[in-house]
Amino acid sequence: MSEAERKFLEVHGLKKSFGSGDTKQDVLKGLDFTVSKGEFCVLLGPSGSGKSTLLNILGGIDSADEGEILINGDKLEDMNEKSLTRYRRKHLGYVFQSYNLIPNLNVKENIETGAYLSDQPLDIDELLKILGLFEHRYKLPNQLSGGQQQRVSIGRAIVKNPDILLCDEPTGALDYTTSKEILQLIEEVNQKYGNTVIMVTHNEAIKRMADHVIKLRDGKIRHDDRITDKITAAELEW
Amino acid sequence: MENIQFGKRPKNPLRKRVRRDLLRDWKRYLMIFAMLVVIIGFVSGMYVANNSMMTSLDGNAAKFRREDGHFELSRIAEPEMIEANASGKKADMVKIFRARAYTEAEPEIQQAVQEAVEEQVREQVRAAITEQVTAAVDAQIEAAGQKMPEEMRQEMLDTSLQTAMDENYEKAVKDALKEAWDSAEYKDALAEATDKAHAEIDKEIDKEYTKLAERFELDQTFDAVPVNVYELFYKNADEHISGDAEFAGSIRVYNQRNEINLYDLLSGRAPENDREIIIDRMHADNAGVRIGDTVRADGAEFEVVGLASFTDYITLFESNTDTMFDALTFDVGMVTEEGFERISTSVHANYAFSYVHPPADLYEEKTSSDHFLKALITQTAVSEKEMEIKDYVPAYANHAITFAEEDLGSDLAMSGVILYVMIAVLAFIFAVNISSTLEKEASFIGTLRASGFTKGELLRYYMSAPLLIVTIASIVGNVLGYTVFKNIAVGMYYQSYSLPTYETLWTPEAFLRTTIVPFLLMLLINFVVILRMLRLSPLKFLRHDLKKTRRKKAVRLPRWSFFRRFRLRVFLQNIPNYLMLFVGISFVMLLLSLVVGLPSTLSYYQETMPGMMFAKEQVILTDYKDADDAVIRTETDGAEPFSMGALEYRTEKFSEEISVYGVAENSRYISLSPQNQPDDMWISTAFSNKYHLHTGDSFVLHEKYENKQYTWNVAGVYDYDAALSVFMSNERFNAVFERDADAFSGYLSDETITDIPEKQIVKRITSDDMMKIAKQLDHSFGSYIVYFQYVCVIIAAIILYLLTKIIIEKNERPISMIKILGYEDGEIARLYLLTTAVVVIVTELIAMALGFYAMKLMWEIMLQTLGGYFAFIMKPDGFVKEFALVTAAYLVITVFDFIRIRRIPKVLALKNTE
Repeated sequence: MSEAERKFLEVHGLKKSFGSGDTKQDVLKGLDFTVSKGEFCVLLGPSGSGKSTLLNILGGIDSADEGEILINGDKLEDMNEKSLTRYRRKHLGYVFQSYNLIPNLNVKENIETGAYLSDQPLDIDELLKILGLFEHRYKLPNQLSGGQQQRVSIGRAIVKNPDILLCDEPTGALDYTTSKEILQLIEEVNQKYGNTVIMVTHNEAIKRMADHVIKLRDGKIRHDDRITDKITAAELEW
Repeated sequence: MENIQFGKRPKNPLRKRVRRDLLRDWKRYLMIFAMLVVIIGFVSGMYVANNSMMTSLDGNAAKFRREDGHFELSRIAEPEMIEANASGKKADMVKIFRARAYTEAEPEIQQAVQEAVEEQVREQVRAAITEQVTAAVDAQIEAAGQKMPEEMRQEMLDTSLQTAMDENYEKAVKDALKEAWDSAEYKDALAEATDKAHAEIDKEIDKEYTKLAERFELDQTFDAVPVNVYELFYKNADEHISGDAEFAGSIRVYNQRNEINLYDLLSGRAPENDREIIIDRMHADNAGVRIGDTVRADGAEFEVVGLASFTDYITLFESNTDTMFDALTFDVGMVTEEGFERISTSVHANYAFSYVHPPADLYEEKTSSDHFLKALITQTAVSEKEMEIKDYVPAYANHAITFAEEDLGSDLAMSGVILYVMIAVLAFIFAVNISSTLEKEASFIGTLRASGFTKGELLRYYMSAPLLIVTIASIVGNVLGYTVFKNIAVGMYYQSYSLPTYETLWTPEAFLRTTIVPFLLMLLINFVVILRMLRLSPLKFLRHDLKKTRRKKAVRLPRWSFFRRFRLRVFLQNIPNYLMLFVGISFVMLLLSLVVGLPSTLSYYQETMPGMMFAKEQVILTDYKDADDAVIRTETDGAEPFSMGALEYRTEKFSEEISVYGVAENSRYISLSPQNQPDDMWISTAFSNKYHLHTGDSFVLHEKYENKQYTWNVAGVYDYDAALSVFMSNERFNAVFERDADAFSGYLSDETITDIPEKQIVKRITSDDMMKIAKQLDHSFGSYIVYFQYVCVIIAAIILYLLTKIIIEKNERPISMIKILGYEDGEIARLYLLTTAVVVIVTELIAMALGFYAMKLMWEIMLQTLGGYFAFIMKPDGFVKEFALVTAAYLVITVFDFIRIRRIPKVLALKNTE
């Protein structure tokens, strides 16, 4: 792995606070870390630890007060709103805890909303098969189970073959079996397409399938570990 | 990455969504679409009808050889007179009058001089004969040598003188006169006498001419305005129609028209014999006359063989000074020359003219008309036999020709305004709807923005539905405009005016105004509203945090009951929607003010007009003295002499006729307190209200055809709404208008005056005459008013439907939640619907007042260009009706809302926030 690939994502001295005066609350208190290309990175921590805020800043939909973020050498804080949109369009895929699908577009069309953003998207039918949604492709979101809806949302994120896939508690609203299925899917995507995955979760068990675990508490990094003995998603238990 | 397979970039899937959005919410979109179609269609129809009509009217001026003006003389003019008038040259009045006076004076002068000379000659001859005879007699006596007594001598002298005179005097006188006529003295005397007489004539003529020239500005020099003059004689007669004994109207029958002011025969054929007539189509419709029916013009029966539109009577104004046209009781007809003879009433020597050199524009036309009138005045004045101009109306000032066209123009402006206001209201409703949709769809908008969708892409997507709707509505509206609505508009015009046939024309302006402008309005309003929201960060969308300024704390409410506080919260949450509701309802109320207020105003005037008249009858006499110079009197109880005249009040845009009354002292009909100053005049409330004149203000009235003006002060406002009038004492009236001290124009009386011969009466003015305007307006708009009232209710219902729908949709989740908590539908309705009901009712009350005042203002503006005045009156039941109509619309919508609330499923609150 080259140096550039090893330092695919660099974060230096990242700080963020909300409110002002007496009500000022420091959410991120100076973070430094790097993520390598193709890495499966898990941001772990209890609620209020600042992990979702960190993910939003990395995704360019929120801004830091201090510090810098370099993605593939591009400085995020130098970008204006337009270039940030272009950056997200070109490089990022987003998966949220709530699936945020468009209710009156069917499965395939919801995925097409992602594909439309890329000049060279993945083949949608093939992706639908990988997602296990091919036979459901003409169904509307409300005809699907929660797990299936989250698959569609993942499909929408990865169809444009993003460099980075940002997942915010993707299994937060799902049961154990479905959660495992989703994690397997993300793992498969990561392995098959080589996207860098950054996943926010409060589920400690998930860290075992990651290449890289960053543990946050009170806005600070408590642990930043590379995992050498990771297991597959299928082997996870909690 | 080896296994990866790339596919093609799909088209934007959001495009597919536009169609589905429209289908999913088809009821809402259908409502908006329907409203747009109706409004665009109606306005497009108005434009097309207007444009087609206007073009046809413009074209008809040439096609039917419309006059450039007409004048009426007191008698039929001689051919030389007509020729002189046609020359358009100003007659040299001084020269002609002098020549005529000189010629007239010549025999008199000659006679006077001759008489003087003859007397002188006779005396001289007598003296010469006397001298000769005396000498001869004395010589004879002397030759006789006798001394003759003096008495004898005298006797002899007398006898001889008598003989000499008898024999020679006349001959000698004749000879002497013969000599005298040739003498220089006689010629000198004659010349001197002539000069003296001419000087006197000149002085007198100069004095008279200066007066006339000042009045009509005749000294102005201008090029001759040559015209072609055509006889356009007519007879006014009472009209009776077969099968309607009640009908009482008047008809103006013209002699066959061949050269000028031709007519468009809308049905039937032209009259071919002395028993046939064609009449005005509009009047025929109103009076129920059909081809084949018989009409009687002052006793002469005619069969109606055709219905026509006369190019000089597009609007049936009986007189150009009438406030309003009258297609109900006034008719125009045309018969053959033989038919014309059959009508026994007197011929009006009316002449139409057209300019030999047509003026290029209105300004030039006014100048030409002005100059031609001056030429006409001088030519008439120099007429050998006494002649007067009874009437002069240039085409541009002829209401019968111009009124319809002007009305068409103002209708167009009005419907344009209605269109834009409605489109703006709809665009706002759309925008409010979209912003509520954006709130609802905040999660996936946030996701799409986070994934890299640009603001522009989302903006285009959210703008698609309104723009698509407005585009399709414009197309459908325009198609309906050219077909259905055009016919409605044309029907409206045909119901008021005697319009000729027209051809439907492609009207680019209609297309522009009803397609491009609504599209741009929709684009602009939606663009601003949507872009404002899309400026928010994706994160805010993901967090459903779409308020630009977020209140830190909720507004503290008083310690009211839970239900009241809840309702207040609903109100606070929906202020933007309620504002929209306010704008919409205000707009509807404004329209309703017109469509409820107009009939209310008209019926008020029809009901109160008889009471408004100061006397039941005003009888106008031809003169206050009869042929024997005796003052015309009546024994009718309570009859009181009064004077009446007309002056003009001029504003920049309009000249308005003002009636001027001279009232008897201590009048029982018009009681005025005495005027302190000679220039203090009382004015009627109508005059005061229309031109905002109050006690102490001064105002100027002008003589119509004279360059004379009167500046008066308002002494007080006399409560009289029926006409614009000025009141003064009869004595003052006679002084102001330089009339005999005891002169008057006629009698005011509450009893019908029967003891004055009809031939001495010009007209009797009763409340029927005063109600002409009200009746004609009632007829022109009456049938459409009800239709517009329903349109207003439908518009109100649609606006209410769209806005209450948004309010309920916004609250679907809380409603679902309180259903889970155990609230019943009725209680929920009380929480959510009652708030809206209160807002609707308060809005209605405020909007009703706003609409009323706005309408009052518009009414005044409208009357500024129309003669006469009557205030805009909304009777209490009118307000009740307005309120009831909008409330009825609201109640219907409430039923829909209630059903909608009942249908909200309980599980909604438990679902994921998609």
